[in-house]
Order: sequence, then structure tokens, then C-alpha cells
Amino acid sequence: MVITLNKQIISKLTLLIIVIAAASCSSVRVTNESVVEEGVRGVTISKKAPETQAILANATVYFEYDSSRLTSKSIQTLRGLISVLQNNRSLNIVLEGHADERGTREYNLALGQRRAESVAAYLLSNGVSRNQLKTISYGEERPAALGSNNASWAKNRRVEIK
Amino acid sequence: MTKSIISIFVFFSVFSSAELLLEITQGSDNPINLGIYEISSQGNEDTLIKNIIQNDLIRTGEIKFIEGVDIVPLPENDQEFNYSGWKLLGLDYVVIPSIKSPDKNSIEYRYRVFDVSRKREVRSSTVFGLSSNLRQVGHYASDGIYEAITGIEGVASTKLLYVNEISFRDEKSYRLMVSDVDGYNERTLLNSPEPIISPAWSPKGDKVAYVSFETGIANVYIQDLATGDRESVLEQNTQISSPAWSPDGKYLSLTLYQDGNAEIYILRLRDKTLTRLTNHYSIDTEAIWSPRGNKILFTSGRSGSPQLYEISLRGLRSKPKRITFEGTYNAKGSYLPDANGNIFVHRAKSGSFHIALKYKKENFIRILTEARLDESPSVAPNGNMVVYAISEENKAKLAILSLNGARFVLPSSQGVVREPAWSGFVR
Repeated sequence: MVITLNKQIISKLTLLIIVIAAASCSSVRVTNESVVEEGVRGVTISKKAPETQAILANATVYFEYDSSRLTSKSIQTLRGLISVLQNNRSLNIVLEGHADERGTREYNLALGQRRAESVAAYLLSNGVSRNQLKTISYGEERPAALGSNNASWAKNRRVEIK
Repeated sequence: MTKSIISIFVFFSVFSSAELLLEITQGSDNPINLGIYEISSQGNEDTLIKNIIQNDLIRTGEIKFIEGVDIVPLPENDQEFNYSGWKLLGLDYVVIPSIKSPDKNSIEYRYRVFDVSRKREVRSSTVFGLSSNLRQVGHYASDGIYEAITGIEGVASTKLLYVNEISFRDEKSYRLMVSDVDGYNERTLLNSPEPIISPAWSPKGDKVAYVSFETGIANVYIQDLATGDRESVLEQNTQISSPAWSPDGKYLSLTLYQDGNAEIYILRLRDKTLTRLTNHYSIDTEAIWSPRGNKILFTSGRSGSPQLYEISLRGLRSKPKRITFEGTYNAKGSYLPDANGNIFVHRAKSGSFHIALKYKKENFIRILTEARLDESPSVAPNGNMVVYAISEENKAKLAILSLNGARFVLPSSQGVVREPAWSGFVR
């Protein structure tokens, strides 16, 4: 079997696969292919200056595993916040939900969001204005404590109020 | 709405010195015996390519290399191959390679595959490549040899996408990386001071989608590999996550948080039309498309714990069907390429997280891994292997297991490596 093929110029992003089915006499599969030379261009994002936060209302509340329910201790912490927010209607806070490292990253992102929403719902039901609140989640991406143990996990299942 | 200005600095990626290495931890029981001839006149190039082919094929878990095939002399005439000599060595298949260099920059690697028991040549192929990229020539050849032997397309020439987190003093940085399946040829797609999660390939492998927290809130971006051009898929005040491409490349499934809770939507990329897919007060996320694109598998907390559900895209208001029932945590599912099963993360009674497989026809799940925190499984396009992340004590590395019994680890020499995504076929 004779195959003639023009000499190929192999360039960037050339995808050329020629499959020549075995003609006559034999069952040999004959193929010719050129390697794809894929170029890759990287991008760098520079660090953003941190935004100033409302220090007045800083607090953190903690949660049980796979739960977004407020504990009685969390409610105590949040009570102190309500009057601060009601007396300063121009004060805007961010409720930042977090999860521990167990479980999948996307599910934990959703879980962190539920925790932030759970805190928001409590504040709203106690007269805080929705305009003062923003909820976001970092899932398991920003742990407060490192380590794969119960003590670290407990510190990471949280909503940071900023 | 806050719209922060991001300064972007584009560079040509540099080959990283922090390459991943191969470490085989387990082999298979009943391998196919293969011998490859040496090409004496083409020392270095031949040896390099032969090593790449051997490593690629060993990792499939199905092939074993037999040394010493060179003692069986090759005939002058193509009609007189010494099949009985090969059989005496216990060989099932034999590869005879040859190399030509038409000029100093390019190479032609020819390989012929012989079936010893059937006494015939089954494949004769030539790979044209650059002398500067012999690894890729080797991967192409090994995929062809694998296909000639097993009838299944090889995946050595496909790519991995993953996230690399590096800690330096108190500063963390996150990189989105692409590499060959053996961990070599590692290149940076994105370098960011903020977390990157959930990387996903476009069906053609020319683009990636991922979640970046660069603006302070999770948003989904699409980036072109060759040009580095990137854009956010939607501008919203609320977070967006979990991108997955439809098999035809026209749609992206996403998790949106517009009403404060995670819900799955389908975005038509052409005109950015959004269609809502789920509506439930519990978490719905991690959508992934079936190979034919007619169904979506996702994780939902609607039963009280995370479980996998499947919803048909044919006809509106079709009800999600629950797929997993064993245990209280089954999440991040994906399909085998022939859609006859699903791979996912399963929490065992011990509290450990493992990669699990459930075939459609079976009513039980198969646990595939045994570390403490295994996550992010992604299936190879031929369905024979799964890449996943092993996480322990703030370290994480990638591992690949073949459904035929082999397993190997791709250790990282720098930082944490996680969330691997296996590309489609690129050849």
C-alpha cells in the first residue's frame, strides 16, 4: 500500500486528520494525522484595594454542619446589631456566608449563601431595611481556620457581618 | 451596582518548572502484553517517544510491556514477520516504529501495529509533528496504538484543566491551569489573587468557563485559550456559579442566586436568553448535561440532604427524577460518555467522601476510592478513566483511576491542585 501525502506545514491550530481507509487486499487501518499545536495565552488579574468596611457592625455567627438555621447564640449576637442598624439607616452591611471544607465546592457556595440569607431574614423580620443588607457567599474558599478537624470546621461554618 | 475596574495584563505563558509527576499505585490483573521495537539509528527521539507511549499505555491499566522484542529479527520482506517468535515471548501485540525528519524542525513518526495471534498487521499510521513537541507526537501514537488494540479511542492526547492554589506568607494566589493528561506541559490560563472554582471545558476544547471571585462576588467567565480573551457571561448584582456547556456548545447551564437561593438556569449564549430550570426552596446546583444534551443531572437538597436528580429538557415542566438513594450526601454528578451510569461524590457512613459510580442498570453504588476527602470527579471522554482530587490537611493532589483497575497520582510540587476537568477528544 502506498500513500502519498504532500509535506505539510504544521502551524498553530492546524487540525488535520486524514484517515485513509485501507483500500484493496488487507485489513490494515492506515491513518495520517498532524499534531495540533495549540497556543495558550494566560491572563493575570491584579489585586484590588480592599474596600473600607463598616467596622461599627462587625460580628460573626456560627452554624451547625450542613445547616443554615440560627442558633440561640447567633441570635444573641444579631440582637446587638439590630439597634445599630436601625439607628444608622445609612449604614450598609455585607453578610458573607461560609462553609467548612467537607462536601462539594458548589454545594458549599450555595450553603454559604443560605446562611447569609438566614441572617438577613432574621434582621429583616426585626425591622432592618433590605437596602442596608447585601448577601454573598464564599463557600469553602475562605476558611477562617486551617486544618481538617472538628474545631477548624466549626470556626469555618459562619456568616461574617462586615 | 459596583463595577470595579480590573486591570488585565496579558502574557505569553511560560512553561512552569512545577510539573506533575507520574506515580503508579496499582495495576490490573489480566493485561495485554505488548512489545515495541527500538529504532537504533534514531536514539534520543525514539527513546523519548517510546517512553511516552509506554507510560501512556501503562496508565490505561490494560497493557503490560514485555522487554526483549528486539531479539526477534525483522524481515527484509514485509510478508515474513516472525509471528511465532513473538508468540514465544508471550506477546499479544507488537509495534514497529520508524522515524523520519524531513527537515530539522519536523518529524514523521510511523508506527505499525501487529496482532500476534491473528498473524496480521492491524494498523499503519504516521503522526506529523514538530521536533520541539515530541511529547504530543508520542501521545498521538499511543492513542492510535491503544485504539488498534482495544477498539477504544485513547485519551493520552487530551487535556486536563484544574485550579492551583499557592500560599506565600499570608498571601494566597489562584491559578487556572491546563496540562497534558500525564501532568506535563503545564500552562497558566488565569492568575488571580481571588478564588477560582468550577472550571469547565467547551465541547471543542477551545474555550473554558469558570467561576472567579475577582470582583468580590462569584461570577462566571468564558475565556478563549489561544487569545486569552475573556468575558463575564452575565452582569448581575447577585452571584452566578457552576457553569457547564451543552454538548453542542450553544448553551451554558448556570446556578443563579437572584432570589437568594441557588437555582439552575440555562443560558443561550447567542443572545443571552435565560430559561429557568428549577424552582425549589432548597439548594439546586451543579448542573451537568447528558452526552446527548437532552437531560440535566444536578444536586438538590430537596429531600433534606444533597442527592442527585435528573431532569429531562424535552417538554416543559418535566419533573426531576431522583437518581441516588444510598447515604446522606451524593453530589457533583457527571455522566459516563455512553450515559449508562453516573460518577459522583458520596459520603460514607464514616464521614469520609469518596468517588462513586452507579450504573443505570444496577440498584447499588460502587465506591471507587478510599481516601478521606476525595472530590471533583471528571470522566475521560472515552469513559475508561476518572480524574479527581484527593484532599488532606490543606493539601490536595490529582489522581486518575482507570475503571479497569489501575490508579496513579499526579503529585504537585507547588501548592494545592484541585477541581480537575477532563477535556473532550482533541485529535
